[in-house]
Amino acid sequence: MAELQSAKLYGVPQLDGRYSQVLDMWPLESEESNRLFPFYDNMKQGRWTTTKCKKCGYIHYPPVVTCTNCWSEDLEWVDIPKKAKVVSFTETMAGAPLGFDSPLIVAWLGFDKSHPLKHLFVRIINCAAGQLKAGDEVQFVTFEVPSIPIDVKKDVKVCDRVYYAFEPVKK
Amino acid sequence: MAETKRACIVGGGMCKFGVRAATIFDMLQEATSALSKDIPGLKPQEIDGLIFASTTAGRNSNSLNTAPIVAHRLGLKPTSICVRVDTLCSGSNTAIILAKGLIESGIAEVIMVCGTEKLNMPQRWESVYMNLMTNDHDWDSAMGLAVPPPFFGMIADAHMKKYGTTKAQMGAVSVTNYDYGFTNPLGQFGGRKLTIEEYLDARTVCDPFGLNDCCPVTDGASAVIIASEERAKAMTDRKLVYLRGTGQTATHGMSAGWPGETLADWPHLKKAGEVAYKNAQLTPQDIDVAQTHDCFSISEIIEVEELGFCKKGEGGEFVASGQVRVDGKTPVNTDGGLLTVGHPYGATGARQALEICKQLQGRAINQVKDPKFALTHNLSGVCAQHTVVIYGTEPVK
Repeated sequence: MAELQSAKLYGVPQLDGRYSQVLDMWPLESEESNRLFPFYDNMKQGRWTTTKCKKCGYIHYPPVVTCTNCWSEDLEWVDIPKKAKVVSFTETMAGAPLGFDSPLIVAWLGFDKSHPLKHLFVRIINCAAGQLKAGDEVQFVTFEVPSIPIDVKKDVKVCDRVYYAFEPVKK
Repeated sequence: MAETKRACIVGGGMCKFGVRAATIFDMLQEATSALSKDIPGLKPQEIDGLIFASTTAGRNSNSLNTAPIVAHRLGLKPTSICVRVDTLCSGSNTAIILAKGLIESGIAEVIMVCGTEKLNMPQRWESVYMNLMTNDHDWDSAMGLAVPPPFFGMIADAHMKKYGTTKAQMGAVSVTNYDYGFTNPLGQFGGRKLTIEEYLDARTVCDPFGLNDCCPVTDGASAVIIASEERAKAMTDRKLVYLRGTGQTATHGMSAGWPGETLADWPHLKKAGEVAYKNAQLTPQDIDVAQTHDCFSISEIIEVEELGFCKKGEGGEFVASGQVRVDGKTPVNTDGGLLTVGHPYGATGARQALEICKQLQGRAINQVKDPKFALTHNLSGVCAQHTVVIYGTEPVK
């Protein structure tokens, strides 16, 4: 296969090492691409944040540019609590999507009443298969994902990226 | 005020569903050929509108702005509407709602609704990977939500915990739909039987689902004709089948917006049903036969509950006691459903509509006795949207 690839008889030879957003599994996170870039910048500091409407007080998830409750654009970034409980989960032992290792563990989380979120679908990492149980406490955790090149005038800017998942809270 | 026109489904056709050595355009042409045999009185020149459903055409078939290409390939020259709709699993059912409105308003007279999807790609990884883009990409998909089994597995877990639904009851959905699908030569698993023992022994896909709890990855195309009552009468001598009522709800794009208290409760489906029943001036008890979106065994169990065919929480018993069989209270998925016919997203709604049309005209393979009113339902994505269409042999008065 390596010989085929080097001979450019395999795959999409015209890309020649260029980035194609069409096949990217991660978000475009930088301010050149996305008005929600503070979400990702905050995540690089280990913070889990979202937007809150200054006009009606509604807290959105995912964060937004315009309030989904009153359509105001007067919003602020707020930190949200980083712990939740596992309501249910599944472990995909084989056949996870390209880019995700098997076993891929995903969970349906429940948040306590003080949290702006009621429930959320998340990936669980830093956890071996067969270890997780319904009712376990889990916490927000970030990790690096591949950087991408973006053309900015005549230069290429490399944008570092992060994403988040949840991990078991050590007992 | 001008009198509102009435819309009817006249007939349709589908290609063989399955792992196909064919493009979306090949399969649409096959479905159109089948449609022409089903409605011999129809000429291509009579069709003034095309509503085409596909979600993955742009990605899997390198075809954006696909509707004009479909029109060309099918020999159509639309003058009232030519458009593609993308609502994933409910694509062509959504198209039927649009066609109803366009015909009742007088904008169109004869519309072809068709749908297709090419989901089996040259390499297997791509169909799984592509599904990352059918969910909320930057949020749920980046958590690994691609193909739906893990999410629906958690739905099944929730229903089992809250309502006591059992694996054997989920098996009853699969066994029943394989029994129906056995007689469907165009289904992916046509000619195959499934026993409860085989169901229980099948390899695990993701807990609590075995292989037969999940619909397969399917290529296919289907097409139906929606026409004004006057044009339908001119086209066919068969019993007229009226579009009586529709409802479509969408409550959330990603999981944080899930509308239920638990994953076992689907209030957005209940609402879509209520809207459709109201428009159709019917109740759940009036429905004689239904096609509901059995992407997974648990889906059909929750759907018969939320659509009101049985009480909430009793869907497992309703199916297991034979109430969805052809002689039961509400026969469901009489052509084999998604579980055995397969699920090429955009093609599923028109395939269901065609089966309902045949049932109400008395010419289905697994014919229910003298049905008057029928219902189709799709869910889209990971239960983000619900679409309900109600048909009858009489129009709404």
